[in-house]
Amino acid sequence: MPDAAYHLGPELDRAVNRMDFFRLFKALVINQNFLYFVLSEVSGDDEGVNLLSPHALHNLPDSSLGKTNGKSVGAADPVVLRSKLATAPFFMDLLAQPSDLVGAGNARSAIAVPLHTVAARRYCLVMFGDAGEPDRGELALIALDAALIFQRYYEVILSLDSITGLNDREIQIVRWTSEGKTSAEIAIILGLSEHTVNSYIAAVLRKLHVVNRAQMVASALRSGLIA
Amino acid sequence: MNSDQPQQPMKILLVDDDPAEHLLLRRTLDKVDGPPLELDYVADIASAVESVKAGGIDIVFLDNRLVPNNDFRETAPQLREAGFIGPIGIISSDISGSYFQEFPEFGVDFRIGKSEIDRTTISFIIAEYTRNQLSDNCAEDFS
Repeated sequence: MPDAAYHLGPELDRAVNRMDFFRLFKALVINQNFLYFVLSEVSGDDEGVNLLSPHALHNLPDSSLGKTNGKSVGAADPVVLRSKLATAPFFMDLLAQPSDLVGAGNARSAIAVPLHTVAARRYCLVMFGDAGEPDRGELALIALDAALIFQRYYEVILSLDSITGLNDREIQIVRWTSEGKTSAEIAIILGLSEHTVNSYIAAVLRKLHVVNRAQMVASALRSGLIA
Repeated sequence: MNSDQPQQPMKILLVDDDPAEHLLLRRTLDKVDGPPLELDYVADIASAVESVKAGGIDIVFLDNRLVPNNDFRETAPQLREAGFIGPIGIISSDISGSYFQEFPEFGVDFRIGKSEIDRTTISFIIAEYTRNQLSDNCAEDFS
């Protein structure tokens, strides 16, 4: 693995996509002698954690995902429940309070760090492993590291919802979509992957607050983003 | 990723001039207990172009420096020019060079250090790059 300060070094400023943030959060977790992590939005009282949410990140083992049906853990799960009530980082002994998030046998302890965005949306980073309980000073440093990575994650990924302008690449893709091109065709034209093209389209949908390609093109035409 | 139906193996193409990397990646893939994965291996970019042209490759792991080429900025576009529209990930023992920041402009989807590759990272890559990012009501309207 990279050195101890990896997740706070230059890579933090260089992160541009979800893969980069997966690497950063994973480096933080490994640096703290934990194994797995889940970053997820903390929703309303009755809602659990949806691991398939487009903003969720995790490196849970597949054996754990099998137990969670691959996508969600209920609000009654002890880690989820406590995350909803917490505003400060905390440690949990999973032998006493097992969590379906990671599954029995995969971890003996967890540290959770509540996080929030400037738009008042709540998230939580939960680290799973076998490490012992840290003292408050150590917990505070873990929370600081998590907050620094999360702030960057917000700036690069999550804040798209509140940005209205399109970058050059996004405008190119909207323009080709308005010409009737599919994502695969646009990928060939622009020398990108279909995944990347769809990432741009998903970003444009969020920025323009629309739900499909036709609406996207109509909105871009109305607002003069494309002619 | 969670269908009840049997899944076709996902085919990964590793392009690396060091055969040892092939063995290492194969050992890592063997530990991934998610959907079935197949690994193809070639040692140079010309062979990689032939492989993607032949079809069936779902994702490419491309070593940054393939002798005699310079780096991914020279090799990744060749795969795109061959019509490959699957994800391309650049792998390298050192991804700290400032030029790595240009990866999106060269048709690359992600970069990762070789020391960072383990079974959970592979699982994340597979899930992330096969995930449908667009909702059902955003299906292609034009075909």
